[in-house]
Amino acid sequence: MKHSYDFNIEQIKNLSLEEKTFRQKNLDLFYKSGFPSKKVEDWKFTDLDVILNKNFESISNEINFKPDEKLEIIKNFKHNYIFLINGKIISTSFVYEEKNKILIKDFDQKEAANFYLANTLTLLNSALSSGGFSLEISKNYKLNKPLVIYNYFSKGLKNKILNNKNSIKLHKGAELILIDYNAGELQNNFIKNTVDTVSLDESAILKSILIQNSKSNGHFYKYIRSSLESSSNYENYILSSGLKFNKIEIEVNLNKDNSSCGIYSALNLLEDQHQEIKTRINHNSPNCKSYQKIKNVLNDKSKGVYQGKIFVKKIAQKTDAYQLSKALIVNDDAEFDAKPELEIYADDVKCSHGSTSGSIDSDAVHYLMTRGIPKKKAVKLLINGFLNEILENITINELKFFLEKILERQINGH
Amino acid sequence: MLKIKNLKATINEKLILKGLDLDVKPGEVHAIMGPNGSGKSTLANVLSGKNGYETEGEIYFNGTNLNDLKIEERAQKGIFLAFQYPLEIPGVNTNNFLKTSLNSVRKARGQKELDTLTFLKLIKEKAKELNIDEKFLSRQLNVGFSGGEKKKNEILQMKLLEPKLSILDETDSGLDIDALRIVADGVNSYKNKENAFLIITHYQRLLDYIKPDFIHVLSAGKIIKTGNADLGEQLEKTGYANLS
Repeated sequence: MKHSYDFNIEQIKNLSLEEKTFRQKNLDLFYKSGFPSKKVEDWKFTDLDVILNKNFESISNEINFKPDEKLEIIKNFKHNYIFLINGKIISTSFVYEEKNKILIKDFDQKEAANFYLANTLTLLNSALSSGGFSLEISKNYKLNKPLVIYNYFSKGLKNKILNNKNSIKLHKGAELILIDYNAGELQNNFIKNTVDTVSLDESAILKSILIQNSKSNGHFYKYIRSSLESSSNYENYILSSGLKFNKIEIEVNLNKDNSSCGIYSALNLLEDQHQEIKTRINHNSPNCKSYQKIKNVLNDKSKGVYQGKIFVKKIAQKTDAYQLSKALIVNDDAEFDAKPELEIYADDVKCSHGSTSGSIDSDAVHYLMTRGIPKKKAVKLLINGFLNEILENITINELKFFLEKILERQINGH
Repeated sequence: MLKIKNLKATINEKLILKGLDLDVKPGEVHAIMGPNGSGKSTLANVLSGKNGYETEGEIYFNGTNLNDLKIEERAQKGIFLAFQYPLEIPGVNTNNFLKTSLNSVRKARGQKELDTLTFLKLIKEKAKELNIDEKFLSRQLNVGFSGGEKKKNEILQMKLLEPKLSILDETDSGLDIDALRIVADGVNSYKNKENAFLIITHYQRLLDYIKPDFIHVLSAGKIIKTGNADLGEQLEKTGYANLS
């Protein structure tokens, strides 16, 4: 289309000839089709090509930065942390843990060749990725405190694209609460294109929480591919309100018996923000459970999208899959699209899905106002009531309190 | 305190109140009785500021024209409506709602807002007076509450917000005799020389517990008879039909 791209593999350091060839091949493939447009089925509600054309004059990947950002940690919340700037590790702290149980290092770009290519954005990622981290938790080690990954971004990112790959692996019986935290004021238009792989061994438990700390002009895309061994559990909480554009694709492969996953999102979209959550849950084995609860509040001219697919293989008997999307449309100019899909080949399964959208209950607003609460505050109280339901399964009080505060801030528009 | 002159109210092009006059002074308890469809709940709704009504006539509350006040301002200035059917509001925590409500009112009245700890102490005290189990306060607002629990919750809010004029819209409906007594005790313990009550009811029952100074009979949108507490007993015997 009309984009002016300037993607340069040469500026990525320490690449072997083989890696360069691999990356160039992916870049050439990307050039053939460009950024996804609504002609691609998976992107029918999110025409990224048009969105980028509207918001970017040009896009390039040449990024030089000095780590001069002010890095702040969250107060009154005990946690381990990793600081990333533009996706690259700057520092780490694991004071609450046994250090030899946790392996954290820069992502080895040689691994990139093993990554699954889902679409042209992941192709571009495989051509241009730099930075990123890989994290491994040893067998049976349960972290005492959550791990916060602070994502900071350097100044001068206008019209730039960042491409990162990360890998997270929990060995047998390991447990981790991971908070992916987008920090800092982000005034510039830039793109962050991330591909994560998550691998959970037998009985491992990962709770992954995505938080947007402030309003941002960032355009974020993330593809998460996860694979689960028997009796492991993977839960995703998405609290990313504030981003101008965000699309998260989560692919969960329930590969062994009794593995389970949950996807919970609470978004309060304002102005012309656009966020999409797309999931694909592959029930590849019997007796697995998946649970999805997607909640969106659409204000102003915002747009929310949920595309959720549950795929049940023929051998995956006794599958228990649940999917629910609820949207609250506050303004007539806002839009919400949902596309639930079930593809089931087994015959002894329990699968349910539902999707509702409605407006704020005016009688409830009236009731609250008769108690002296001004209308704006009454509406916020109702929005909060609608969204915070997704936190009901979080049993750690300290974490729940922290997330409630985050949600409240997002409802207040940061 | 409350002066209503020739109030007419229309909803969906139907005239419900057809010229109602009422004068409530501090320290007084007024009961409004009347058959179904006489306009009792419309009066409560109009006083609370509910949307959808077209009104004519005058309503003054302590010298302020009520039409000039938004719904929340009426509450802040001291009008409280206990609903006939209190709403269930999923997701909204009762304590959080009560605190937001109290602090909104305190702020508007120029009082200091309460912090969480002070608030919790206060609300526990008030809940105890009304025999409300504390665990209701951490539940979603009115969700799954029984009729009696909902009504007690309304009275709790009344005592918390300390209004000058409390309007109880059929608060006795759906209450068993024990709950009725608790609600009535709650009202009686709050009653003083400075505040007033407007009790809307079908039956004499509630008035056995809360003694009114005046009883007004509302019929077809107008007050057709006013009397003292004895009028209630008389109505109980003869019904509304024999009044003219």
